[in-house]
Amino acid sequence: MSPAKPARVLVGKVGLDGHDRGAKFIVKALRNAGYDVIYTGIRRTPEQIVRTAIDEDIDVIGLSLLSGAHKELFARVAELLEKEGVKDVILVAGGTIPDQDIDHLKSLGFRRVFTPGTPFAEIAAALDEELAILNPAGSGAARRSP
Amino acid sequence: MSALLEKIRGGDRKSLARAMSLVERASSEAREVKEALRLSTGNVPWWGFTGPPGVGKSTLIDTLISRIRSDGQRVGVIAVDPTSSLTNGALLGDRVRMMRHSTDLDVFIRSLATHRCEGGLSDATIHCARLLEVAGYDPIVIETVGVGQNEVDVSTIADICAVILAPGFGDDIQLLKAGLLEIADLVVVNKCDLPDANRLLQAIHAELALSSLSDEDTGEAKEVHANAPSHRVDVLGIEAISEKGVEALLGKLREQDAIARLPDRRQQHNRRRLLGEMRRSAATALERALGEGLSAPLATELINRVERGELPLDEAVVQLVSDGLSALNTDRRQRTTAG
Repeated sequence: MSPAKPARVLVGKVGLDGHDRGAKFIVKALRNAGYDVIYTGIRRTPEQIVRTAIDEDIDVIGLSLLSGAHKELFARVAELLEKEGVKDVILVAGGTIPDQDIDHLKSLGFRRVFTPGTPFAEIAAALDEELAILNPAGSGAARRSP
Repeated sequence: MSALLEKIRGGDRKSLARAMSLVERASSEAREVKEALRLSTGNVPWWGFTGPPGVGKSTLIDTLISRIRSDGQRVGVIAVDPTSSLTNGALLGDRVRMMRHSTDLDVFIRSLATHRCEGGLSDATIHCARLLEVAGYDPIVIETVGVGQNEVDVSTIADICAVILAPGFGDDIQLLKAGLLEIADLVVVNKCDLPDANRLLQAIHAELALSSLSDEDTGEAKEVHANAPSHRVDVLGIEAISEKGVEALLGKLREQDAIARLPDRRQQHNRRRLLGEMRRSAATALERALGEGLSAPLATELINRVERGELPLDEAVVQLVSDGLSALNTDRRQRTTAG
């Protein structure tokens, strides 16, 4: 019996952006790393993302975007999470995000920002670290190793 | 513990979502919640949807949610997808088809991974459905994983079983085989715009006619059917994506729902559900005990003796199972002393 809860990750695409190859790559890599992954599909609203995260008791939200609207749309997701009083969710971002926007996203509450070319091992290690920070006792969510 | 259920009954969505994670675990707190749930539910019929992967189960449920909502009912959905036996991870993708309902507070959709539970459901499914019942959702819809020929666990917990098929999966010999059709209260052929849909519908009608003939012949009532023995299986052709035939399907579901609400039916269904739950839990417990036992020195010793021809395999199995049982007993004693 494993004391840890199987970690649930939501991979979301917000706004008018149909470029989902990156998101699907991440979905599959996370699945292979032992996560329970919920993919929202493309063209979702920030409201849909946040409600899904609450109902699905999500541990990590990963937002992916290529269109360039990340500042507006990602900010809206962070704002809605705050409004709904969701505190213990790890928020991360990925996609074609210019270097100069990364600090801004971090100030909004995005713990990590992964730009194109990031090896998946780095993403998996970062998520393990973030989950461990959230639950230092080791009783929280974790991915299931094979 | 009743405090948690009270919060859920009062409409606290986050508590409901958290409780669903809790019952996926095997803690003592989870055990208490499950016990309380078992005793405080059983009044709402559960609608089960099963069928092979890609026949359109999630799309159909998405359409049904809209219709049910327009009648003013609050609907709860549990959607199960498979956990990888290689990596222990899962992609829970049913929800993609239902995303438009995410912001409707009178719809609650939860995705579950099988976590190695065979049979088309996950161990937590029954507890999550009960949680939806406590939260006041009615009806409760359960979508199984995309099933193969014989993953029929949904029939042990759902009050109504809809088997969804689509053209292109094989001929009438496939339908003659044991499996999905035996548990159907409703058979739905989706994607009726495809050319072979009529042939499939005819083959299903022919197969069901054969079944009732052979039942009369042997004089056996179909105990497996929820509404046996006067049960007639309805067959419907639909096109979920354009909503063709969905209203008629909902009508049939509602007819069976009304029957399933009759007090004697409730008692019958709840007892069957309890039996299914007991069997599955027993199998899971024993499997876990055996899984731990298999890596232990006893297993190695047994394999050695079987390999040398000193012990018949059947005898080794008996020793392994009794070892697993005593491990379960020790576990229980420790729990009782700890609790």
